[in-house]
Amino acid sequence: MMSNESDTSLTPQEIARYSRHLIMPEVAMDGQKRLKAAKVLLIGAGGLGSPLGLYLAAAGVGKIGIVDFDVVDYSNLQRQVMHTTNDVGRKKIDSAAEHLSAINPEIEIVRHETRITSDNALGLIEPYDIVIDGTDNFPTRYLTNDACVLLGKPNIYGSIYRFEGQASVFATKGGPCYRCLFAEPPPPGAVPSCAEGGVLGILPGVIGCIQATEAIKLILGKGRPLIARLLLYDAMEMKFREVKIKRNPECPMCGDDPTIKALIDYEQFCGVRGEETGAAQVESSFETTVEDVKARLNRGDDFDILDVRNPEEWAICHIDGAKLIPLGELPMRMHELDKSRDIAVHCKGGVRSAKAVGILREAGFAKVKNVQGGILEWARAIDPSMPTY
Amino acid sequence: MAAIRVSLPTHLKTLSHVDGEIVVEVDGAVTQRTVIDAVESKYPMLCGTIRDHVTKKRRPFIRFYACEEDLSNEDLDAPLPEAVVSGQETYFVIGAMAGG
Ligand SMILES: [Zn+2]
Repeated sequence: MMSNESDTSLTPQEIARYSRHLIMPEVAMDGQKRLKAAKVLLIGAGGLGSPLGLYLAAAGVGKIGIVDFDVVDYSNLQRQVMHTTNDVGRKKIDSAAEHLSAINPEIEIVRHETRITSDNALGLIEPYDIVIDGTDNFPTRYLTNDACVLLGKPNIYGSIYRFEGQASVFATKGGPCYRCLFAEPPPPGAVPSCAEGGVLGILPGVIGCIQATEAIKLILGKGRPLIARLLLYDAMEMKFREVKIKRNPECPMCGDDPTIKALIDYEQFCGVRGEETGAAQVESSFETTVEDVKARLNRGDDFDILDVRNPEEWAICHIDGAKLIPLGELPMRMHELDKSRDIAVHCKGGVRSAKAVGILREAGFAKVKNVQGGILEWARAIDPSMPTY
Repeated sequence: MAAIRVSLPTHLKTLSHVDGEIVVEVDGAVTQRTVIDAVESKYPMLCGTIRDHVTKKRRPFIRFYACEEDLSNEDLDAPLPEAVVSGQETYFVIGAMAGG
């Protein structure tokens, strides 16, 4: 599986750099040469990708490929420690390559500035020994898994949400794959993303370092890898737990008689997801705009603004005069609203408020409308001084 | 009456407004089915999130564990390990998450 390290040698500078590895029998000269000959592909240069990149570069993994197409944003800096404040607005791939090279100029960093898709995944992964899944969405996780199974490349998996994380090693010979664990993704919207629900900034540090450790163990061929084992981490309880994962003989991907033999359409498989900033599924007659809401406020129209976000979001920013009822509490608190009045309903980006409009219409509120684009659009078009998140 | 400790995935903790583990009372045989029934009856908002509303089958992005063993595809009416019945061990409902 691994690249040939026999014709690899270390320079005196490299020997000095890796001396704490070289004096351990588990790594030693042989292991360090293996690291130097290894080729690892990181999918994603974000929360998990940051500690992964930094530590794998420092450890001397000879070739690190990074797949990312995103740009560094202020909201990344709380956890994506591979990027700095000065990098805001730059491509993550450039910022990542620069910082990894600064840590270790001896290694090669390959920039793949693209979104990984069913069309390019096999070609991207093929030249590498190991793939590390540091993505932030279900379609890419299933795509990465399936491509790794098809190519027979180990997929080092990690994922995080709020205060909890998971890690495992999938798609090794005879071992289970991601689909053996979760045969299908949750329906869109059922499980919130970190952008919607938040994540403790340190959490990807813990999980990413576990993934990096597993990568190095696989390269060295040492220790007991996280194969057929799912590691569960709970930061609040400060507990690590481990459960077994069996390969499912009926797995459509890695089972005894696989039915999926080529990459599929993963957006379709996972259900196309209405992002918070994306368009909401509401009839156009039930829609209104931030400009309209602002014009009505200016005219002194008699109407209500209902904010269905959570109190934590309200504390960041809100529209003066709005009433807060989180979407989850709406069915129990509808009596606080007046059916005879005009109500403009908003959330962060328009998805939750569209649900709220549906609930209220069903309950007989005939004059409720969804504010397109939510408070993000309000901040963009009406009040640029408003902080966003 | 047995007091069973159950751990839910984060998004279901949020949905049921709980922190940490929950404890449910189970009368009679302690099986996966009776435990999940007790969870759903104490937290009705979880109906449909762990098992399908109609078929009552485990949803494919959820798994069940106890004592490190995967019980997801085991008989729902088989007795759970004594350590879970006695409250020594927790029954785990694990969910898919995609953040990174
Ligand atoms: Zn599988």
